[in-house]
Amino acid sequence: MTTLLSFPAQPAAPVSEPAPVLRVQGLRKAFEGRQVLCGVDWTVPAGRVIGLLGRNGAGKTTLLRCLLGLAPVDAGSIELFGAPMTEPGGERLHRVGFVPQGFDLFPWMKVRAYLDFTAAFYAHWNHALAARLLDEWQLDSKQKIGRLSQGQRQKLAIVRAIAPEPDLLVLDEPVASLDPQARRAFMGELLALMGAPGKTVIFSTHITADLERADADIALLRDGRIQFVRPLAELKSRLCHAVLSRPAGWTTPPAMPGVLKARVAGASLHLLVEDVPTERLHQLAKDEEASLRIEMPTLEDLFVELA
Amino acid sequence: MRAIAQLWLLPSRQMPLLGALVHLLWLAALACLALITPHAEGAAIGAGLLAVGSWFWHLGLATTLRGACQPETFLLPAFRRRLAAFGLADAVTWVGLPALLALAIGVPHAALGGTLLLLAAAMGFAMGVERWISLLFWPLLVLAGWMPGLASAVVHNAIESPLTLPLLLLVAVLLLRLSLHPMLQITDRPPDTSPLEGLSVGRGATTDAAPRRSALGRRLEGWFDTIAQRALEQALTRYRQQPTAARRRTLVRRLLLPHDNALAILLRMAIMAVFATLYVVVALHRRPFHASVVGAYAVLIALARFPQIGRGMQRMRPNLADLYLTLAPTTRTQYQQTLADALLVLVPTGTASALAYTVLGIVLTHATQPWLMLLVTLIVATGGGLVALAVHLIGPQNAVGRQWVNAAVLTGTMAMYWAGVGLVDALGYVFGGGLLALVVLGFGLGVWFAAQREYRRREPCFDAPLT
Repeated sequence: MTTLLSFPAQPAAPVSEPAPVLRVQGLRKAFEGRQVLCGVDWTVPAGRVIGLLGRNGAGKTTLLRCLLGLAPVDAGSIELFGAPMTEPGGERLHRVGFVPQGFDLFPWMKVRAYLDFTAAFYAHWNHALAARLLDEWQLDSKQKIGRLSQGQRQKLAIVRAIAPEPDLLVLDEPVASLDPQARRAFMGELLALMGAPGKTVIFSTHITADLERADADIALLRDGRIQFVRPLAELKSRLCHAVLSRPAGWTTPPAMPGVLKARVAGASLHLLVEDVPTERLHQLAKDEEASLRIEMPTLEDLFVELA
Repeated sequence: MRAIAQLWLLPSRQMPLLGALVHLLWLAALACLALITPHAEGAAIGAGLLAVGSWFWHLGLATTLRGACQPETFLLPAFRRRLAAFGLADAVTWVGLPALLALAIGVPHAALGGTLLLLAAAMGFAMGVERWISLLFWPLLVLAGWMPGLASAVVHNAIESPLTLPLLLLVAVLLLRLSLHPMLQITDRPPDTSPLEGLSVGRGATTDAAPRRSALGRRLEGWFDTIAQRALEQALTRYRQQPTAARRRTLVRRLLLPHDNALAILLRMAIMAVFATLYVVVALHRRPFHASVVGAYAVLIALARFPQIGRGMQRMRPNLADLYLTLAPTTRTQYQQTLADALLVLVPTGTASALAYTVLGIVLTHATQPWLMLLVTLIVATGGGLVALAVHLIGPQNAVGRQWVNAAVLTGTMAMYWAGVGLVDALGYVFGGGLLALVVLGFGLGVWFAAQREYRRREPCFDAPLT
């Protein structure tokens, strides 16, 4: 038995925050009658690394594509760098980089020709960075894109996205096809490049270790909505996992403020709680005549519990 | 400027031969205009070369841009604006410069020629983006073939009319609007169909271009999908009731060739009948007209399906691993045999389609020798189908090789068709038809059995194809 309670509202943002990079209001999107995004409200401040988490089919790719105007939306508004984003256009595109989930453009083109083609459109293109990454990631610039493996194409898409040194980098599962070495190298590059003030990264991934390494803000997409956006450190400091066990088992979880999710597994009751003092948990265990075990959840644990 | 240069290079990078040839044509055309005009028909030669070059260049350009204009590409800064600037530069190159040169050296009707060049470019581009646009020109062909006198009078008067120029410009603009609008729109990508199926008439979809369908196309696709789903469910139910080898084969067919069930074939024939009727109407009004052409065309349409099998089987390779594990064959040979058996249904399907189109043609043209046409179509479509399936199953894997093989099969089949018409006409149905069947079906079956043996011998390949 699982009971999932609504996540408490986020604390109000401080008044002095800079203008957000992205503001989404009431975004709705359906595919052939199947509602994928059901009124997404989301504000992304500048200078943050945001990890977009959600289960398979939650709508992460759809949301990211809608944000950049790459998929038509049914309702709602999207503002990118302060201007409505109905479709990709305007000077702000010089400030945006995107790594799609799958890269299947121009299979007949050679890597070098593709990068030359792309670079010609940008006001700023870091040729040295692109050349270094091609070299370090062992991408043959004379190779045709169609002959690259999926992982190599992913690397090329990343090079193409970060070479213009964008202010906003949107990555849709960028490391899914990468080997561990390439993943680490990519994360290193990403953090070095996007660590500068004002640079924002939004990326969806299932590899939670990468988000932990990036100390990202976590945005959870579930039921077609962003359920919460919280800094990872804050999530970890305020949430904990309490396991109450007793031989008689549990019929219903006891009511207690701060419980986000309650799950009964055999004789154990698993509680995901927020801002609940340890003393209060010990008191609960005593009242329910149960033993108590408190665990600090990893991001993966939180994802499993909340997504 | 760099972006415009890159856009200009794009088609030449994809099709270097086309790029080189059309630019040579452009140079030759300008040379004709500048050097020959005072002495001979330089202007006419130049205009002809330019029109042909422009048509091919814009057809290629449209094919490339159609593949390039995916939603991600629109994230390139000012992509649309630069595309528009490139379009302007392209129009200056192919229309403006030659027209100005013609005006400068006093070529008569230079403005009209320039407008026609623009129309040729727009036609090529539109046909490259939306293949159905070529159908818009069919009524003009019908008119020209049916009433050549009228067509000639229209052309003669049009040259003198002040309205011709703006009207032609309007048509060119309309064509560009028709082709550019869907290309520059960002829409959700529709789900892919089976790589072995091609619902378009041309069956020439490239892998790098997103499937683009009109409202009618989407509706037809919906019908085909519903029919395919029902056929698959029926095959599944029958197989569960009694899992025989034949029912298992049907099930595999429904999976690999979802649109090759009886109802879908009938629907496809009905759609093709519309195009066949159009073709016959065009052909009928050309003199001299040979009714047997209808049979030849029907055979060609039936054979147009097979190249898709070669391409599709290659694209499907990674997914076929799943089928392999599901079928759990005792030996690899058994698995290869299952696939070959499943695909063999395309031969009778193709023959039935060819016969149906021939019957339609016979009715429309009031052919004098209907049985001859039917007999020859039956034999040649079957033999040609067997050979086509064989070569596309085991033939070359690269695109150029496949095109050569396809061209050889089509040429051979057409040769057999016309030889068959002559043979049956001369020796009669029994001897002529018998001899034709012996040669064509004997050859077809021989090739098919040899190919089947080779296919069985080969190990199944599940590697993703290199594009």
